[in-house]
Amino acid sequence: MIPTVIGILQAVALVLVAPLVSGIVSKTKARMQGRGGASVLQPYRDIRKLLGKDSTVSGSTSWLFRAVPFVCMGSMIVLAMMTPFIYTGTLAPFGDLVAVVYLFTLYRFSMVLGGLEGGSAFGGMGSSREMMMSVLIEPALLLAISTLAILSGAGTDMGDISESLSGMGLLAVGPALILAGASFTITLLAENARIPFDNPSTHLELTMVHEAMLLEYSGRGLAMMELSSMVRLTVFMAMLGSMFFPWGVATTAEPVDILVSVAVTSAKMLLMTVTLAAVESVLCKTRLFKTPNLLTASFMLSLMAMMSLYIL
Amino acid sequence: MENAIIGNMIDLCAVMMLLTTVLAVAMTHMKPLIRLFSAQSLFLAVLALIVAYSSGTSHIYIMCGLTLVLKVFVMPRMLWYIMDRINVGREVGLSLGIPGTLLASGLMMVLSYYITEPLLATMHTVERNCLALSVSILLIGLLMMCTRKNAITETIGLLMMENGLFLGAVALSHGMPLIVEIAAFFDVMVAVIIIGIFAHRINRSFNSVDTSFLRRLRE
Repeated sequence: MIPTVIGILQAVALVLVAPLVSGIVSKTKARMQGRGGASVLQPYRDIRKLLGKDSTVSGSTSWLFRAVPFVCMGSMIVLAMMTPFIYTGTLAPFGDLVAVVYLFTLYRFSMVLGGLEGGSAFGGMGSSREMMMSVLIEPALLLAISTLAILSGAGTDMGDISESLSGMGLLAVGPALILAGASFTITLLAENARIPFDNPSTHLELTMVHEAMLLEYSGRGLAMMELSSMVRLTVFMAMLGSMFFPWGVATTAEPVDILVSVAVTSAKMLLMTVTLAAVESVLCKTRLFKTPNLLTASFMLSLMAMMSLYIL
Repeated sequence: MENAIIGNMIDLCAVMMLLTTVLAVAMTHMKPLIRLFSAQSLFLAVLALIVAYSSGTSHIYIMCGLTLVLKVFVMPRMLWYIMDRINVGREVGLSLGIPGTLLASGLMMVLSYYITEPLLATMHTVERNCLALSVSILLIGLLMMCTRKNAITETIGLLMMENGLFLGAVALSHGMPLIVEIAAFFDVMVAVIIIGIFAHRINRSFNSVDTSFLRRLRE
């Protein structure tokens, strides 16, 4: 009973904390650029404002356009239930890693359809760029997570992997974990439209990828698309924190463990958020046709991680 | 338990060296490339420190210090200096695209694991891992020398190969005799100086450090 309650609470917390994570990233970036920046709570206000507005939908679109925000939000909520954030006993017992990778793909695919539905030139352009990158992201992501599954020897459920790895202690830190972690970090940046791959804060027509697909959305639809992309970033960070560096995550439902885990997880999330902001401040967005360079490197690293497990 | 953790740390440093090598292959600009070389040397120095501490071999401390001073600080500075002097562009000069080179370096890694496996079947896991990593860094460095056209990028390829070699020597046999190590260091120093002068000459003759110009016959 109690584990289920904690499972529900951590999924809710993951969704609720997502705008805060985005807020901290933008605030830190603003500070690094010497600006004051908006409050860290600004994303909550934006979403509330958008939720109260009417949605304008082009007459040439079909039901698909209106369904896309629900599919995106839904797939991210399911993912939030699968991810071990504070406690390794996740709510969804079907948190299989193949399902995880393909939920991310479902999200991306429906967003691409939404971009195409609007019929604008930008939407189509953004969609085609997103698909080009996704071809390279997907194998790297799948390989990196599978490496963890093999390393932990605990099956393919994310909660089990996290539990088993945190039980292994320092012995788990080996070539495989580091290489897979590096590959996953590059994937995190690419998948969440972050700076070497895409600039999340631009609306410059020629460079945007993610934003181009959201151009036609307004009101409630836009609020859901924005929120789901924030949840996607937070889920990625939670996966990095609780699966690649799982020390401190609660493996039992004891109150003390949970409290320690809340503290450690907040510290880890804060660290990752600030690091992300720093990475975004020192790097510049690369040309679209140069992105395969880094993505191939990410794929090679995860392949190497997988290989080092089989050969040793 | 302690041995396992030390083994893990050695593995970790070796893997970080490979990681920096792979990232160096993916770089298109000179300055990050030089920084990656110094990061790779730093990991080599840390690895040497751990090996020296765990095996109690005192001369590895000297090697660690030499690596730290020469490879982490002096050689990158020299490369910067050469770059400034001859006004070389920031581009590395590719003759094979980056995704292609990366896939080839992946093949090199598979190859090195494959060829070292029967060689050391009876060895300890850590040592086997380090040997395979050392051979792959060596091969990737060679690949970098083959697929780049810029004289300075080729020098970095050579230096990375050299680091791979030291990785193998330190992790497997607890270092070479001190005199050999010092000689190797000075060899590399001299190589960098000579390559610097050479790059200078190529630059003067062709107004570029692109080594593919050297293939042309001049009347």
